[in-house]
Amino acid sequence: MRCSLAAAHTGLKGIVFCLLMCLVCPLAAPAFAVEPPKQLLIGIEPEHNIFDQMERYRYLASYLTDQLGVEVKLTIMSRYGEVIKRFKSLNLDGAFLTSYTATMAIKELLLDPLVHPVNLSGEMTSQGYVFVRRDSGIGDIKGMRGKSIVFVDPATMEGYLFPLAYFRQHGITDMRREFNRFYFSGSHVSAIFTVLDGRADIGAAKSTVFNKLANDDPSIRQELRIIAQSPKVPEVTLCIRSEIDSDLRAKLTAVLLQMDKTPQGKKVLEKFQTIRFVKSTTADFVKVEEMAREARAAIEEHGK
Amino acid sequence: MLSILLAVLVVLSAARDSHAEKRIGVIMTGDVPYYGAMHAVFVSALKKKFAGDDEIEVILQKPFPNAISWSNAARKLIAFDVDLIVTYGASATQAVLYEKSRIPLVYAGLYDPDQAKVSGKNVTGCGFKVPMSSIIRYFKHLKQIDTLGIVFSSVEEDSVRQYEEMKVLAWQQNIKTEKIDIRSQTGLDQVLAKNADAVFITGSALVHLWIDDILSILRKKQIPAADIFPDDLDSGVLMTLFQPPQAQGQMAADMASQILLGAKPGNILSYTFRDTELVFNLDEARRFGIDFPIQLLIEATKVVK
Repeated sequence: MRCSLAAAHTGLKGIVFCLLMCLVCPLAAPAFAVEPPKQLLIGIEPEHNIFDQMERYRYLASYLTDQLGVEVKLTIMSRYGEVIKRFKSLNLDGAFLTSYTATMAIKELLLDPLVHPVNLSGEMTSQGYVFVRRDSGIGDIKGMRGKSIVFVDPATMEGYLFPLAYFRQHGITDMRREFNRFYFSGSHVSAIFTVLDGRADIGAAKSTVFNKLANDDPSIRQELRIIAQSPKVPEVTLCIRSEIDSDLRAKLTAVLLQMDKTPQGKKVLEKFQTIRFVKSTTADFVKVEEMAREARAAIEEHGK
Repeated sequence: MLSILLAVLVVLSAARDSHAEKRIGVIMTGDVPYYGAMHAVFVSALKKKFAGDDEIEVILQKPFPNAISWSNAARKLIAFDVDLIVTYGASATQAVLYEKSRIPLVYAGLYDPDQAKVSGKNVTGCGFKVPMSSIIRYFKHLKQIDTLGIVFSSVEEDSVRQYEEMKVLAWQQNIKTEKIDIRSQTGLDQVLAKNADAVFITGSALVHLWIDDILSILRKKQIPAADIFPDDLDSGVLMTLFQPPQAQGQMAADMASQILLGAKPGNILSYTFRDTELVFNLDEARRFGIDFPIQLLIEATKVVK
């Protein structure tokens, strides 16, 4: 009797286990077979001319919608520094991120870097430049002491972290003490114009913006001298949430990488002001992380 | 009666001398608000430096901007045997240097002093340099510029240098230039006759004497203007890119006080200010039907609405 009771108890436990599994399994099912989303919401970091930028990205979004069969929508993510916060609050599926925010997003949000564009000059990377007016008499780091400096934004590699790391390597750690004044212009173009006009003695900005302006206006290279250059890193990278359906991710990557091989894709690339997209990897961001570490050390010592 | 009058004059003159231990003669190249702002800071800073010590007397000369008047003003101060001469602008500075006096000279408001021939063991001072390429750059963001008019005065050396500099910069960007040389009031007819997409006004005292007339003609012709002197009275300049005059007034006072206390001018390094302020006048832009893009407006240190 005892045995039969024990057997009945074991049988009951089995039934309860099966019932529980029936309840739990439907909840767990999406983790193993993700439904492809009906829409992909992609964020964009604001550039100097937000209207031109939206126009460029609009063609790309429309092309991707046609090719993927999934609506691709775009949204601007406000300021550089708020990208991580905004990515979460807007429930984004991915974003075109500049090098430092991409590095942070890969680390903190576990995003996957998919592709990055090759610009019309054939560059697939950008560098940080530290520059001065040629007639300023500033030739090196010694001449910079006591002068005014304009950065772009605290969350840009080229426009803040690189110059900070550069100054630290050359013995300047306390910005407040070593410079007469420093401030943030909000855009790379603005930082360049500020130094050209003489509103600041030293500036930092990214090479792609600098070179584009200088190609349009030859007086810029005659008037500005580049004092320091950072290592090259991807300028903008499309990063996607790792939870996005792997088939969709693969398809998205393939469509972008193949764009320069179809007439329609080429037209869209032209509007996007890009030659083609190339594959990105997390290794591309190691240099950025190293620079960020150096810059963070300077910030921790003396504040922003 | 005459003897009493003479006696009174002698007493008055002696009384002034006993208090005015130091006399400074000042010449402005012209009665221009830019130099006026510089001078106001100069006087106030100098008075602070000598408060409670020697009294400072400042003799200010604002001659009409021409060679004879500058020369007369310089000779007058040399005849007064002032302790120091301060000049604002290139023409007044050169007029004093031409007289080869032994009185120390401090200049201010001089455009690009490194390029002006103003050196000497009794001379020091400060000036400014404005990156004129920025003016072309901002104009090009606002409208198509094929021809740029340049208003200058060939009787003022620094105005000529600014004209030459701007001409080269425009040429590098395939922009034609129209020379508008103002030597007298009749020269204003040239402004009426020339056609340009925009006009650059050099830092000339003579030109700024008739700036309202010039701007009125340009407004009728729908030609926007840029200036390197501030438009403090909002006379109608679309864009001004200038070096704030206060810093030059302060530095001139520092240099003057060192010299009055015995320092040799030749031992005081001259200085060129390169910081600038950028002002956009949106009222004027509206008048010309110009729409300032937001990314350009954020560059301004001041926007006039």
